Amino acid sequence: MPVYRQNVLFEVARGIKAFLNFEAGLTRGPAPGEGDGPGLAEARRRLEAKNRQIAQLEEKLRKGRSGAAVGDLKPENVVWMFGTARVGSTWLGSMMDEPTGHTMWHEPLIGALFGGFYYGRGAHRGGKHGILGGPADKRSRAIRAFILASAHEKFPEVKGDGYLIVKEPNGSNGAPLLAQALPESRMIFLVRDPRDVVSSNLSGKSEGGWTAEAFKRGRRKGAPPPTDPQAIVRQGAKKYLEFIGRSKEAFDAHQGPKILVRYEELRADTLGTMKRIYSELGMKVDEGEVARAVEKHSWENIPEENKGEGKFYRKATPGGWSEDLTPEQVEVVEEITAPLLKEFYPEKQPSRTGV
Amino acid sequence: MPLFKSRTAFQLARNARAFLYLDTGVVRGEAPPTPEAMGEAQARLREQLQEARRALANRDHRISGLERELGGHTVGAENIAWIFGTVRTGSTWLASMMRDGHNHAMWNEPRVGELFGTFYESTAHRRDNENFVLGTHRKLTWLKSVRNFVLDAASARFPRFARDGLLVIKEPSGSIGAPILMEALPESAMLLLVRDPRDIVASALDAAREGSWAYELRGTKRREKQGLLGAADAPLDDFTGKSQDEVVRDQAAMYLRYVGNSRKAFEAHDGRKVLVRYEDLRADTLGTMKRIYSELEIEVDGDDLARIVREHSWENIPEEEKGEGKFYRKGASGAWKDDLTPDQVKVVEEITGPLLTEFYPDGGV
Repeated sequence: MPVYRQNVLFEVARGIKAFLNFEAGLTRGPAPGEGDGPGLAEARRRLEAKNRQIAQLEEKLRKGRSGAAVGDLKPENVVWMFGTARVGSTWLGSMMDEPTGHTMWHEPLIGALFGGFYYGRGAHRGGKHGILGGPADKRSRAIRAFILASAHEKFPEVKGDGYLIVKEPNGSNGAPLLAQALPESRMIFLVRDPRDVVSSNLSGKSEGGWTAEAFKRGRRKGAPPPTDPQAIVRQGAKKYLEFIGRSKEAFDAHQGPKILVRYEELRADTLGTMKRIYSELGMKVDEGEVARAVEKHSWENIPEENKGEGKFYRKATPGGWSEDLTPEQVEVVEEITAPLLKEFYPEKQPSRTGV
Repeated sequence: MPLFKSRTAFQLARNARAFLYLDTGVVRGEAPPTPEAMGEAQARLREQLQEARRALANRDHRISGLERELGGHTVGAENIAWIFGTVRTGSTWLASMMRDGHNHAMWNEPRVGELFGTFYESTAHRRDNENFVLGTHRKLTWLKSVRNFVLDAASARFPRFARDGLLVIKEPSGSIGAPILMEALPESAMLLLVRDPRDIVASALDAAREGSWAYELRGTKRREKQGLLGAADAPLDDFTGKSQDEVVRDQAAMYLRYVGNSRKAFEAHDGRKVLVRYEDLRADTLGTMKRIYSELEIEVDGDDLARIVREHSWENIPEEEKGEGKFYRKGASGAWKDDLTPDQVKVVEEITGPLLTEFYPDGGV
């Protein structure tokens, strides 16, 4: 409903016209000149995509394949790597990524998706209606389909005898749910002395550390870590308790092939520990390839400029915490992580007597 | 060669735009089209767009049917009607009425939107990471996984669901994930249920009082008993230890986030959808229910609907279940004027400003 409209056109010379178009008013919907062109193009693009999808589905139906099929990835060839951050999972994952037919999925955070909801917020758990509430088998079936579909979409090439190693330290808060969903899968539970974990965490989050710098330079977003060392230590210890605790819960209940690996053993005898991992998990692997992977990813082969205080590759020295943490900080970590420290490092009790 | 060209348009109110168009100059040959001619071209484009959208909806139905046939789901995406908005908008009332329709069922707050939506929002910094399970570059594939996840879970929950039935998923607490769910299940219907944020905050303040239903249900002590994590993860409606002003601020922020995301999903959704204001539902329940079913293209028996509306009327809720501190509190619109202080009203209006203006341009009740 234009309030005022004026269109004038007149010839000022032969073949030359002057014009004036003026219009002002109110309208429901787009104003003149505000087209739906891009919307139409997008709708047509989506229409084509849907036509292709229909053709694919009809083809599947003709072949009688189940729509729930998730490709050729064998669930028993999914290898979970649980624990928490700063336990050496990047190192172990990189070595396990090397052998032919073995592929690593670097921190998809599927465990964080389900674990954060189920164990963290969990308001739904009291009711039968909750998406992850009710009988465990129904919950597991839905999570299983989600994991396998996601893995297949990401790694369609992993099939047959291929293994998919899912490095999930930051998703270990959902370890029990993932393991229940894939009971036939393999599991590595990687632990490290919590004092060293917290010490490494503190170094990264302190002024100039790699985590703090990542936030400062905008490479990491979200809530920045605390700057008070005591708060970092407390937060790190609590995370250890939660994530290692959930990993242990999953590990204890898991009926499939599984192995507990201590970072300290992996450092002391890398090749021997790697062989033990493959053997206990019943994974086929060429020993020569394992030896080459161990060599390639050895601490000595990391460029010197990438190593050191405040960097991602820091010390790789078990027991370094005794130099890095104050007695008060050690006490905080030991108090918070006591049950796990006692279970996994009984020989390192009592506190503050060295390593 | 236009000498001067200016096109200005701005939103005056919901669905009303003011515009100013000025184009002047000198040309050889044909003069540029007048705004009138452009308007006609636009109308043609809009028609084509409508047609494309209808074709898209048809394709969605076909896809849904094929998937159901392939995947063995009892519930298809086209059988679902989502109720999004936020808490205390009357979603329990609306969903209960819809549940009682012929071949209708209701899934009460599965929180699947909370599962995916909260995680998605809290991991914005990870989305460019190619390994991240909800990464941007893999969106089409993980949306498919979300879709299957919902249909698997719904089919497991409703194994004997009628082929032409309607599953109403009441998801106010999961509204943060509305954009993800509607994108994953585009053939589903969507109801966006809104209510004046001032009334919602007033209702929350009542629920935040020690001894009220929500205080008991979601309090920290209860959460600790359930083995849930510490206060850092407490939901916004865990009112333990909060002052009234904190509750007001939190609830208004929650409204902005939940209704804001629901609105985003509603705008983007090309399929069946309807916007419902609680106030309209209260003022003319039967008329609004008829409008809902009509806009969602769901057939319903008029006599049945009238009976259902009567059965769920405020008057039929036992007196002992209604009142201050109870789940059914006032059932009135505009009660915020009595319940909130002027300062609290100001805080709510400031935080929820854009939504309040959009849904209550007349200033509300």
